[in-house]
Amino acid sequence: MSIQTFGDWLYATPISTTFRETTWIIPTVQSVHILAIAVVVGSALVSELRLAGVLATDESPARVVRRYLPWIWSALVVLLASGTLLIVAEPARTLGNTVFWAKMALVLLAFLATLLLRRPLLRDDARPAAKTVAWLLLVVWSAVIFCGRFIAYT
Amino acid sequence: MTLQTTLQSIYDLPLSNAIRENANAFPVLESLHVLAITLVFGTILIVDLRLVGYAAHRRSANRLITELLPFTWGAFVVAIITGSLLFASNAVAYAANTEFRLKLLAIVAAGINMAIFHATTQRTIAQWDETAAPPFAARAAGVLSLVLWTLVIFLGRWIGFTLDVLF
Repeated sequence: MSIQTFGDWLYATPISTTFRETTWIIPTVQSVHILAIAVVVGSALVSELRLAGVLATDESPARVVRRYLPWIWSALVVLLASGTLLIVAEPARTLGNTVFWAKMALVLLAFLATLLLRRPLLRDDARPAAKTVAWLLLVVWSAVIFCGRFIAYT
Repeated sequence: MTLQTTLQSIYDLPLSNAIRENANAFPVLESLHVLAITLVFGTILIVDLRLVGYAAHRRSANRLITELLPFTWGAFVVAIITGSLLFASNAVAYAANTEFRLKLLAIVAAGINMAIFHATTQRTIAQWDETAAPPFAARAAGVLSLVLWTLVIFLGRWIGFTLDVLF
């Protein structure tokens, strides 16, 4: 089954129709989606600026990461759930959209970088993180936001 | 000059026209606006939760506030600039939009809440700076701030669904 036929099938399901026709559902889910990405951005900003040596340098990196990594994981779950609802509501707007897939690739990249390069920092004997990665992660999250808004225009 | 003619002259500005004419201008401004509001909300969330009594990455509430507020303000300025440009591109319709008006009210209310906190509760911060449970006034300011900024985000997204697009 191609993505196109899957999208068509999804569009025709009763739940997709209900989401589209109930006027408050899409704006509400999108608002929750933005709140959740704001939690990711705030947590990532403080964590990454600490790791880049800009902010709270008198606190240990492990302490800062320990505080905000759980927030990032929780917010990512909310993003995934609300994002899935938005796909169900409007499959063609998302699944058939190049920008949407670029966004998914960037989210996967940010997720893997956080999992593989940030989670190990929870250990007290962790090696110091590369500062370049910290700046790159902030750029990737910003790019995710840009792609998210551009989905509406492509 | 009435409000309507003022709004119309904002709409007629060459800058407003340029935003309407350029296909990428509006989405780019909107993306910057969303990025800025996520930075505003994300940083203020950390401060507000500390005021409510949830631990942040450092113990001192005062140091947390002085450390993060410049980011909140910087992002807020970007949100105001990009928001003003988005507004200018379609001034008459935005001004008539209920959600837009409520959003401005919510931002003003959040500003007043913050000003009151700075002028009163924060002056006594030395007494509760390192304690896990801040006084009631600080917790109230934190909760109110979170509610108002959440409202700002909801109303902002709602504008996109209720605005009479004139171009």
